[in-house]
Amino acid sequence: MLSLAIWWSCIALESLLLLRGFRGKLASRYPAFFSYIALVLVQDLVCFVVAWQSHNSGQYKLAYWTAEFLCVLVSCGIVLEIYRVGLAAYPGTARMARMLLGLIFLIVLLKTIVNVTSDPGWWTEESAKGVEATLRAIQGTAIIALVALFLFYSIPFGKNLRGIVLGFGLLVCWSFVSLTIASSPTAGPKLQTLLAFLSSATYAIFLTIWLVTLWSYQANPLPKQSARLELQYQRIAATTQRRLHDARSYLAKAVGS
Amino acid sequence: MIGLPAALLLGTILFLLLVFLATRGSEEIRGLSSRSNVPLFDDEAGLDPCPPEFVARIFSGDDWQFVSKTGSPQLEKLYRRERKLVALAWVHQTSTAIRRIMREHTEATRQSQDLHLTTETKLVLLYAELMFLCGMLFLAIRSAGPQRVYGLAVYADGLSQRLAQAQHDIKTVTTGREFHGAESS
Repeated sequence: MLSLAIWWSCIALESLLLLRGFRGKLASRYPAFFSYIALVLVQDLVCFVVAWQSHNSGQYKLAYWTAEFLCVLVSCGIVLEIYRVGLAAYPGTARMARMLLGLIFLIVLLKTIVNVTSDPGWWTEESAKGVEATLRAIQGTAIIALVALFLFYSIPFGKNLRGIVLGFGLLVCWSFVSLTIASSPTAGPKLQTLLAFLSSATYAIFLTIWLVTLWSYQANPLPKQSARLELQYQRIAATTQRRLHDARSYLAKAVGS
Repeated sequence: MIGLPAALLLGTILFLLLVFLATRGSEEIRGLSSRSNVPLFDDEAGLDPCPPEFVARIFSGDDWQFVSKTGSPQLEKLYRRERKLVALAWVHQTSTAIRRIMREHTEATRQSQDLHLTTETKLVLLYAELMFLCGMLFLAIRSAGPQRVYGLAVYADGLSQRLAQAQHDIKTVTTGREFHGAESS
């Protein structure tokens, strides 16, 4: 009964979020995010109908995991949207982010190639939960890289983007941890049921975060200084580097004495 | 497939970063509006390093010898406590100055078109190393007292001066940049 209430409340929250997104013209600014929410809403409704009309759990699982896989793929666009919107005014930091994300995807690609080479049946033997956990972990790593860059370069966030990052980051964080636990061989049916229930309950919390922060449009704060720094970067970086180097060598000498 | 320990580690890092992002949130927006109207590197409050004589005095054993000659246990105790506090305050000031150098660097360069990954990585590693050494110094003073880490006093003196010099150099570069920008506009 409680699960059903959570399910319905999630559908209501998703509908409200979409409504606010279109009314406040947020959907055009964050298309990937609102596409994801729309897809999750469709997934919820379809799964509800399948669960209601069919008593065959196999059909429900097929519908659920097909839609879930699509949702995870579409949600990759949210990571790119965070990068695009958050770093629009910071080309240098955006360049750093591109390199970092490229590095992450290269590592993931190499790991996948190694896995497939060492065990060709790896992909087919992996459970649906395991595949989603892996995809969510990749998203999580990309978000860690982006958030670390945002924090390091003190990139300011508007309320909307912060809400998307927080809600989506928490969703990804919870997803890959819970799915990894659930797909481990030691997880019993009770633990799996509990994790499935907690996933629904926490999703309602993430939707609430999004609803509060995306209720109305708020632009990202832009720095007022004009970007005339291109020619000066090498000089600034060289100065900072030289002085920090000096401090390090002096410090090493002092500690060694 | 990701293992459970790796998932937990990744989850913890992500969660902590998000918490940090959430807590920094509104302060950052407020700070931006006030900071962006003034040129960078102008706010030097609390950055002036201690004079070399003062730093040498904090870590030197001369005062301790003088106090111990009085033969008063209360005075010795008071001296140890106070001197340790002063030394810790100095370490705190130094690490704040290092943080400020790095923050000003990132604020000055984040809009730059040609940020270099290797250069930035080197700077981050240097910064992390210096912060680590400051942390070690902090622990050494707390556990052994300032007099026992006299070797680090040399570092203390030099580093403060060099950091101040770095501040000055960066300020000069930025002033030149703004001057150049004003000329070309």
